[in-house]
Amino acid sequence: MVRVAILGGALTLERTAGWSFMLSQPIVGACFAGLLLSPGAEWERWALRVPIGVGAILQLLLTDASLPAAQRQHDTATAGVVGTTVAILGMARLHEAATVALGGALWVLIGVAVGLVSAFAGGWVTRFHRSRSRADLVRAEHLAAAGEARAFEFLYWGGVFRAFAVGALWAWAATLLALAALLVILPRISEALTARRIGFVFAALIGAGLAAGYHAHVAGRKQVFRWVALGATAAVVLSVVFRRGAP
Amino acid sequence: MTEVRVRGDDLATMTARSLQVQALLTPERMQGMGFAFALLPALRRLYPMKEELGRALTRHMAYFATHPVLSGFVLGATARLEERRANGEPIDDAEIDSFKRSLASPLAALGDPLFWVTLRPLSGLLGVLGIALLPGAESLGPDLRVLVCPLLTLLTYNAVALPFRVFGVARGYESADRPGALLKSLRLAEWSHAVARAGALGYGALLALVALSLDFGSGRWGMDGRSRVASLTPLVLGAVIGYAGLRRWPGRGVEVGLGVLAAAAVFAWSV
Repeated sequence: MVRVAILGGALTLERTAGWSFMLSQPIVGACFAGLLLSPGAEWERWALRVPIGVGAILQLLLTDASLPAAQRQHDTATAGVVGTTVAILGMARLHEAATVALGGALWVLIGVAVGLVSAFAGGWVTRFHRSRSRADLVRAEHLAAAGEARAFEFLYWGGVFRAFAVGALWAWAATLLALAALLVILPRISEALTARRIGFVFAALIGAGLAAGYHAHVAGRKQVFRWVALGATAAVVLSVVFRRGAP
Repeated sequence: MTEVRVRGDDLATMTARSLQVQALLTPERMQGMGFAFALLPALRRLYPMKEELGRALTRHMAYFATHPVLSGFVLGATARLEERRANGEPIDDAEIDSFKRSLASPLAALGDPLFWVTLRPLSGLLGVLGIALLPGAESLGPDLRVLVCPLLTLLTYNAVALPFRVFGVARGYESADRPGALLKSLRLAEWSHAVARAGALGYGALLALVALSLDFGSGRWGMDGRSRVASLTPLVLGAVIGYAGLRRWPGRGVEVGLGVLAAAAVFAWSV
């Protein structure tokens, strides 16, 4: 959990401070969380597969082509981390309570759901940091006017550290809360979880991800449909070529 | 009077600090505090007296907003302007402020479409495409896609963005006298067009790959018409809700995703 908290803090800082290396993209956070977690040797394979699924679906859903200033304040940086962590730790503890076909898809769904809720609730954490920054501004003005450059720097580094600490604390707390909720809820609804239902919701999320991708890559752009068609054709041709070449 | 100059290590420190330019973002000043913080190494060099340094710091804490990846260019150019002022050239506060705005606004206007609107979605999309295209794990081996796909996302974005970050301050410092030529030389609009096309190409590939793998749940796709409809229904349901939701409420992917999840769960449990 300490590693998850540190990862969450680093990703929040990446997004908040403006590093903009794209570490805070859901697919990156989810996969890194999967690499950091080790639920046990018997789960090693799923511990690497579930993050891929959670990261891919969250990436598609949360990819937004609108400017950050035009978006609602959500904590999408830690969504992949929290979702993946809860899914993997939940899988290791609750696999006997939810023994269904498509079990892998179930844990991916749980990871995505937790990630989305975490992103929504994490918006309040982001707002907390912003409100503290406004208080810092008043102090920074006084320090600058007095020529206290060193104190100004300390104040700024303090804000940077706060962004990290708030993100780390949120990643840790959200994971614990969501895991506790999962431990209570999943055994009670496990009988209703069938492969057909899981597959249905999973496919619906992929459909929503494709729609989000349309808005991000196609909608409102001139003369891009031929590029979409070209990409689709290339993918089909490559698939056919690779399938023919496969043993 | 000895001429004071901003040194190379000051510019390097400014480059490193430009990574934190919006750590204390506020609606009133946007990146103003971050700009002053990043410019501080140069200001210290140019204004050794406490009072002068305080005035310079206050001056640069005013409203400032540009794209964070391109903030280095404004920082470098402003450092050059401050250097000339510190060496006695008649440059007043208003001129420096006006210069900052004249560079920051077009950089934001050109940087946002490139970095936020096209390159960021493209880098994520390539990570997702990597999952679909790269071979999965052998039955017992580790699934290397968990490492390769995020790296694909990071490399795609940073291959374009990192040079702007690394060389931004130095280029801004060198080109402070020719801001128009600097803006033109970055070719940001051309980059945006190319990346937008690459995004559309990748999206087309993703659509095709999803269409080629339609066997959700049942694994019986193609056996009969009914199973095909059963496979397509949730996909279409999610796509319709997602499309309509994001069209109605752009920028609310989280809420729309939760809405799709809830609607699909209700539908799956009721049918």
